Amino acid sequence: MYLVEIVIENKPRARDPEGETIKKDLMYKSGYDCVKEVRTGKLLRVKIEAEDEEDARQRVFKMCNDLRIFNPVAHTCKIEIRGKA
Amino acid sequence: MKAVEMELSLTKEEMDYARKFLKREPNPLEWAMIDAEWSEHCSYKSSKPVLKLLPTKGRRVLLGPGYDSGVINIGDGYVATAHIESHNHPSAIDPYGGAATGIGGVIRDILCMGTRPIALLDSLRFGSIEESEHSRWLFKYVVRGIADYGNCTGIPTVAGEVEFDESFEKNCLVDVVCLGVGRKKGLVLAEASNPGDAVILVGGSTGRDGIHGVTFASKVLTERSEEDRSAVQIPDPFTKKLIIEATLEAVSTGYVHGLKDLGGGGLTCGISEMADKGEKGIEIDLLRIHLREEDMIPTEVMISESQERMVFIVENGKEGEVCKIFDKYEIPYAIIGKVIRDRNVVVTQNGRKIANLPTRFLANAPIIPRRAIKPRIKKAKPKFELPKDLSATLLRLLSSPNIASKEWVFRQYDHEVGVRTVVKPGQGDAAVLKLPNGKFAAIKVDGNSKYCYLDPYQGGASCVAEACRNLVAVGAEPVAMLDHCQFGDPNNGEVFWAFSQTVKGIADACRSFSLPCIGGKVSFYNEDKETGKAIKPSPVIVVLGLIDNADHITTAGLKNVGDAIIVVGSTGLDMGGSEYYRTLGIYEGSPPSIDLNLEKKTMKAVLECIKKGYVSSCHDCSSGGLAVAIAEMCIIGNLGARISLEKAPAGRLRVDELLFSESNFRFIISTEKPEKILKVLKKYGIPSAEIGEVSAGVLEFSSKRTSFSCSFQDMKKAYGEAIQRLVEG
Amino acid sequence: MKVAVVQFPGSNCDYDAVHVLKDIIKVDTELVWHKRFDNSDYDAAVLPGGFSYGDHLRAGVIAAYSPAMRRVKEMAEEGKPVLGICNGFQILVESGLLPGALLRNSSLKFICKWVTMRVESTSSAFTNKYRKESTIRMPIAHNEGRYFVEDDALKGLRDKDQILLRYFGENPNGSLDDIAGICNAERNVVGLMPHPERASERILGGEDGRTMFESMLEWVK
Repeated sequence: MYLVEIVIENKPRARDPEGETIKKDLMYKSGYDCVKEVRTGKLLRVKIEAEDEEDARQRVFKMCNDLRIFNPVAHTCKIEIRGKA
Repeated sequence: MKAVEMELSLTKEEMDYARKFLKREPNPLEWAMIDAEWSEHCSYKSSKPVLKLLPTKGRRVLLGPGYDSGVINIGDGYVATAHIESHNHPSAIDPYGGAATGIGGVIRDILCMGTRPIALLDSLRFGSIEESEHSRWLFKYVVRGIADYGNCTGIPTVAGEVEFDESFEKNCLVDVVCLGVGRKKGLVLAEASNPGDAVILVGGSTGRDGIHGVTFASKVLTERSEEDRSAVQIPDPFTKKLIIEATLEAVSTGYVHGLKDLGGGGLTCGISEMADKGEKGIEIDLLRIHLREEDMIPTEVMISESQERMVFIVENGKEGEVCKIFDKYEIPYAIIGKVIRDRNVVVTQNGRKIANLPTRFLANAPIIPRRAIKPRIKKAKPKFELPKDLSATLLRLLSSPNIASKEWVFRQYDHEVGVRTVVKPGQGDAAVLKLPNGKFAAIKVDGNSKYCYLDPYQGGASCVAEACRNLVAVGAEPVAMLDHCQFGDPNNGEVFWAFSQTVKGIADACRSFSLPCIGGKVSFYNEDKETGKAIKPSPVIVVLGLIDNADHITTAGLKNVGDAIIVVGSTGLDMGGSEYYRTLGIYEGSPPSIDLNLEKKTMKAVLECIKKGYVSSCHDCSSGGLAVAIAEMCIIGNLGARISLEKAPAGRLRVDELLFSESNFRFIISTEKPEKILKVLKKYGIPSAEIGEVSAGVLEFSSKRTSFSCSFQDMKKAYGEAIQRLVEG
Repeated sequence: MKVAVVQFPGSNCDYDAVHVLKDIIKVDTELVWHKRFDNSDYDAAVLPGGFSYGDHLRAGVIAAYSPAMRRVKEMAEEGKPVLGICNGFQILVESGLLPGALLRNSSLKFICKWVTMRVESTSSAFTNKYRKESTIRMPIAHNEGRYFVEDDALKGLRDKDQILLRYFGENPNGSLDDIAGICNAERNVVGLMPHPERASERILGGEDGRTMFESMLEWVK
């Protein structure tokens, strides 16, 4: 069993209105002008049965594409293996 | 410096025309601007000659087609504005973002007139959600996109429709409508007419989003479309809400002389159209524009479709007063240029003119003549046996996605914000809203591609008739209409024939009902390039009506046990394109015939009955026919009914034909005063009869040879749970 | 008597609240932009529904950090009536003026429908004119309306009669203990997810919401 983290974000060139508002209206206005950029995303922490790390990665990658867990038109999807669960 | 590959969509004829007119070769930036403005989406180059058929004058019409929104006078110094937009291609690849930004776009068109958006409607078309996972995915996320955007901006989505048909599998249709209200003296036109006035770009920053959005909309979808990343737009309803408030506040200063939203074709279309309308020119300096990405070339800046941007034309010298308001709401803005006397669109960079095109040339694409070829469609008369279990048939129809309750959809839409919504989704045939002058507006959107496929002329006219009937059923007088014609590739003669016929049908119906067209759109290229399969012809009609007196507002649910039930209008053999036939796998036949005169008389008669206070509830007969209409009235009213079918005025029909035929010009009315209603109907010469009464439990139909009944629970379950079950499993 | 309806960037139901207070309840009401809100001018405050700051990060959290909320806190401490409707409730909870949190609806979808509630306590600035244990109807329209609070705090709310309204017959969003509306220990700050301003005119569906605003007038007397 492997622990895999899937992080889905808007494509880097695409706007992230939520991140912009959090930076401008919450952080800056409360004095944290040291923050230069905020981007938001969604985190899925998945425990998956697999032969090895590479197998885990492949399975998760296929699943994310088949089930449209992210929309490749608008999002990027980063998969990180966090070791054995 | 990265250059974007410029793939122009212009034809050779258009390019030759441009060279001839300008007497020179346009530079790449100028070509890109011409390409954007002359795209089908912005210029209507294929459709203008056909659209001329639509009547546009009426006693309430202040502004007709050709402006951002149509404007009608609602009395007491107030006006209403309305517009319809679509985002078909973007929604097909990013349903959430595409649909959401579609709402953003239609709101801007209302805002541009200086009026406050007060209601939204959606008209959606997808492939079969019973069979296609893809269509279920599109449906779910389009609805969520519309919900999130409409709800966040605080504009109620008050009505809509959804149609399912295999022809929309690869080409879904997402139409959104916005209604606005404001004072007549506050109306702003999208015109740059005073030289010296400042041109201010307000709202979001300009990036590479949506580049080739309009040419994207004017091209057929190919497999590569999923990779077209720059055509996807990110919705930002929070910024839109701020823009709404800031714009209305700015308009109230009186210093805003022109307003235009930047949608299809970006800055290019925005400023050229404003300059053309004002018969002046506009000069802008690219360096003043806030860019989100650093290495953008001039072409990208001029055709970018980044969302939430508007252009304000502000009185020379009063820029400070207006910009103070943008500061209050913390909306970015930049003074990017000015209105000039010469009728040119001039773009400068570092003091150098990098584009200079005559306004009239840019804003008026040459018309492309199209051929219309009539296809051969078989008008078969299918033969099959009468189903044994008619109550099962009725339940099956009630749970058919085209008929079933759309509650799964409208519960996600905040339809109450604004405290104006009197008749809410699911209660009546149209939405009814309070207007600031004490009157009420009724609005509905309708389409039926199955009828239009079988006979575009009759189908087009039927859509108008049905939309008007829906308004009459709530007690409103139809006063104006919008149309959106959605078809395949206009280069295809058969498609163009269908388009011309549909518009003829719509035009004739409008003329007959004295209903002016105050705006509309045409979207071609809704076709899958691989299979060449086009969508069924899909005109979508919006009708706006007015109600003077709150007492006239009528809903569809049955009200009192013992009330009489009257059918207005005669039922004929109008099964082609019907939902009944569809559930049996039959797709041929003649669609419901249209008799415009009879339709007009019937509506007048029913409205008279409503205004005289004789009507308890009213519902028009359409999809699923008489049986479904009565069943719906039972479900909404939580009551039952006893119906004697042989009393209904009809041709020689088998019992299933009588129950499920989709003939036009029919209503079902429940009333405490049947004799009074029958008297009015007789006066107008409308065939009608009392066919039953409201009861407390079951819905029962009986005729000489058959009788069947459906329990209230069964009907409610079939009708109410179908969509949820299909979408959520 | 003067009431402030505090307007944040993204508030939507602000004009609705002003309309009901001014035109139906007939009390002197002002729509105040959050940056200009000065509590000393007002006897009561309403935080209206909507999507302040687009509901970004969490509904109500960014507005909670607005300087206007410091002034709302002062009003609350002075015992003045403060009503948070929907997003207003979310802002009050994020500001610490009311306990608990409003989480995503269990159906994970936005829900717009009329609901029935039971009046559990008439001892507050906004429920004193209802009849105890009567059922009332108002519409909800929210994505994050599921009330949640830790067990010991819930016990405190129950013991001190701070649960004012409970969903009745159907819990639309999965709120803990069917909680629809609560008040603070001093009973002058009230938050609820349903919209009383949308239930103040018969033609729009019902008038049970009016009583909430009339209760406010009673409290101030």
